[in-house]
Amino acid sequence: MRPLHADESVASAWAPYEPNESAPWNLERVVHLHRRAGFSAPWVQLQRDLSDGPQPSIDRMLRGQVSDSSAGFEAMAATIGDAAMASGSQGRLQAWWMYRMLLTPDPLGERLTLMWHNHFATSNRKVQDLVRMREQNNLLRAHARGPFGELLSAVVKHPAMLIWLDADSNRRGHPNENLARETMELFTMGIGNYTEREVQEAARALTGWSIVNNRFALVEARHDDGEKTLLGQSGSLTGDDFLQAAARHPATSQRIAWRLCQTFMGEDTVDDTAMSELAEGLVTRNLDVGWAVETMLRSQLFYSPQNMRSRVSCPAEYVVGAIRALQLCDPPPSTLLLAEWTSRMGQELFYPPNVGGWNEGRAWLASRTIVARANFASALVEGKLWHPPHVPDVAELLSRHDQPTEFDSATDWLTRLLWGIELPPGVRQAIRSDELLNNDEPLSTALALLLARPEQQLA
Amino acid sequence: MLSRRKFLQTSSLVSLSPVLPYLLRNTARAAGAAPDSRALVVIQLDGGNDGLNTVVPFADDGYGQNRDKLRLELDKLHKLDDRVALHPSMGAAKELFDDGRLCIVQGVGYPNPDRSHFRSMRIWQTAQFDDDRHDSYGWLGTALDRSAEPGAAANAIYVGEQQTPVALWSRRSTATALSIADDLMLSLPIAATPPPAADEASPNLSQFVARQVLSAYAAADDFARRQSGLPATSQGDYPDTSLASHLKLVAQLLKSGAESRVYYTIQSGYDTHSSQLYTHYRLLREFAGALKAFLDDLKSAGLDDRVIVLAFSEFGRRVEENDSQGTDHGTAGPVFLAGSQVKSGLVGNAPDLVNLDGGDLRMQVDFRQVYAAILDDWLNVRSKDVLGESFKRLGVLS
Repeated sequence: MRPLHADESVASAWAPYEPNESAPWNLERVVHLHRRAGFSAPWVQLQRDLSDGPQPSIDRMLRGQVSDSSAGFEAMAATIGDAAMASGSQGRLQAWWMYRMLLTPDPLGERLTLMWHNHFATSNRKVQDLVRMREQNNLLRAHARGPFGELLSAVVKHPAMLIWLDADSNRRGHPNENLARETMELFTMGIGNYTEREVQEAARALTGWSIVNNRFALVEARHDDGEKTLLGQSGSLTGDDFLQAAARHPATSQRIAWRLCQTFMGEDTVDDTAMSELAEGLVTRNLDVGWAVETMLRSQLFYSPQNMRSRVSCPAEYVVGAIRALQLCDPPPSTLLLAEWTSRMGQELFYPPNVGGWNEGRAWLASRTIVARANFASALVEGKLWHPPHVPDVAELLSRHDQPTEFDSATDWLTRLLWGIELPPGVRQAIRSDELLNNDEPLSTALALLLARPEQQLA
Repeated sequence: MLSRRKFLQTSSLVSLSPVLPYLLRNTARAAGAAPDSRALVVIQLDGGNDGLNTVVPFADDGYGQNRDKLRLELDKLHKLDDRVALHPSMGAAKELFDDGRLCIVQGVGYPNPDRSHFRSMRIWQTAQFDDDRHDSYGWLGTALDRSAEPGAAANAIYVGEQQTPVALWSRRSTATALSIADDLMLSLPIAATPPPAADEASPNLSQFVARQVLSAYAAADDFARRQSGLPATSQGDYPDTSLASHLKLVAQLLKSGAESRVYYTIQSGYDTHSSQLYTHYRLLREFAGALKAFLDDLKSAGLDDRVIVLAFSEFGRRVEENDSQGTDHGTAGPVFLAGSQVKSGLVGNAPDLVNLDGGDLRMQVDFRQVYAAILDDWLNVRSKDVLGESFKRLGVLS
């Protein structure tokens, strides 16, 4: 699958990346790829990608083969997931997903799953069923790169969403507009692209959708099969007709393009032209999300200087990224605790704040959530993410990679590992106080301070 | 590593303190908050408060006829007029009343009252009567959807240990839960550094992040100082109770420039089916004491003109006491509004203990009339948009 034909690519805003003087393939760009498209990467992977060059590195990311795929991963994840279901604990469900993000060979797949969790924001607060929430999560993962129409249909017709948006109380003669409205406003076209009348008509089309034995069911007796006019169609339209029409609407491709750029591109990197081009490309390819992701990750724009460190990391990226980059999975930290920290930072997995999902970007950084990030950094170096507590040995990490453990060299290396750049002088000044150098664990404290820095919040 | 406490003692933080107010103001401005925006604090009295023993119709013969073991002693009551009086443990509320900072709306309920805790609470929290609409959006969440801009700060803050109440659920606005002040305490020895200067109107992303992050650390330092009793402004004199600690946290948030418009907390335990006397005494003392401490704290911080408090319960209790020295689920009850901006005094008549509806009080005021007043006159949200129909709003705000 090639992103664009050679003749299109000439004038494209998404022209393929070729290393050049202003955007060389260097450590900064390797780290950028892993932070932006995955959950950061350990030093060995960074060095491998640095020497292999962009194409093999991007290929591995797209194919979900960033690390050697350990055959045991999916089996272990399934075991953990089953145990979470048996326990009935929401924390264990969250921990299951944390485990996946930490150890997956396909970090891009998990990032896309997280993106769709926000796009189709469904909260167990109302669903009250861990099994259905896990099923929905697996649907998001299975269809993450696929044609959007298939994802839309799978997720909207799954019991978790049907419960969340009151499908069952939407009946002939007694419409409940919740599912219709949010499908149009949030999942597909976006506000301003339909009329209130069309919301009512869509709700009629969706009447009769229900749940029987934990599965989608159409209850014919409750379905309004009368004439409806909706999104340019008329007839005895069904819920499926509505979903297809909504997916086909041109505004939907714009919204998917916007969502993808929000996830993978910096705050001001993508202009209207580039966004529209991506949307048009999606339209001609049956809303093939995998194509769009590949186009972005292979583009000159993705590696342009303006796209470096220009997006606020969400809490899951922040938490999982630190553990992965620093290779802290031996022994593995408590994924329950990692999920708790992520919640404290404002991202309670499976419990988005409302159907609109989390406000990404700058909204992640409120006083309280920033303090939570700093306290996570502190808990990390103090070993409090492990049961029993296990203090990470920073000097040993350095030695393992043949790096000097002297304070200044060590902090230089940590900065390269975490941010892909040399330690900025102002940051060195901020983390290099006399009190710190004189305390028992200057390297641990310096690491925590680096993780708490403004620079670490941007990827 | 260096402990937080040790760091506070040894670091150069003290020398930074003159900078802190500046940082806090900047934080508020950066997020686009209007510093004078009004806030609503809600106290949910959970379990069904016995209104009859809270605002007591002592002059009504029916009171003594229905309340025998639970009858409160006349000479210990705090009389509000010649008909009703506050419970003996509510001296603090009486002081607020005398000081013009407490409005008591009597007989508040809704048509066809429901005696299920769960359903009645959902009705109060969503202002909806259709069960299908009880799990979706709350009245405050809907109000915030119509007024608040999404941004870095949560539009509503729930202070407590339980799940965020339905009242704050919304389509777009955000509510956050805060249980302990530790959520605001830094455990890292971060030396506060002044954030970089930035273009006020539209700071670029890295400037914005640097300012947000460094300002948050400065705010946490300020918070830590208040907590540890180091130089800080008056903290008010809070009783040592759970509700008081929650309200104290709300006051600290308000004082440190928090931009949320709604704060919500819950005082549990009002479901007094048996041995009610002592439990109810303790609950009302906790409620009145915490309320007064909170309002006094805000007053001395100069914030009292932008905060009002609403206290409600899902229902009152039956007029006649049961055989276990308690009371069972009833109907209408009093609602409290407090703060210097409320029209202090009694609204509505003392409960009519003669003309009952199957042993229960008849409601005088629909709770949505109280909500309408808060929405239209305080939060500046059209109440019809939230409640679905127009209600004659009570004149409870000055």
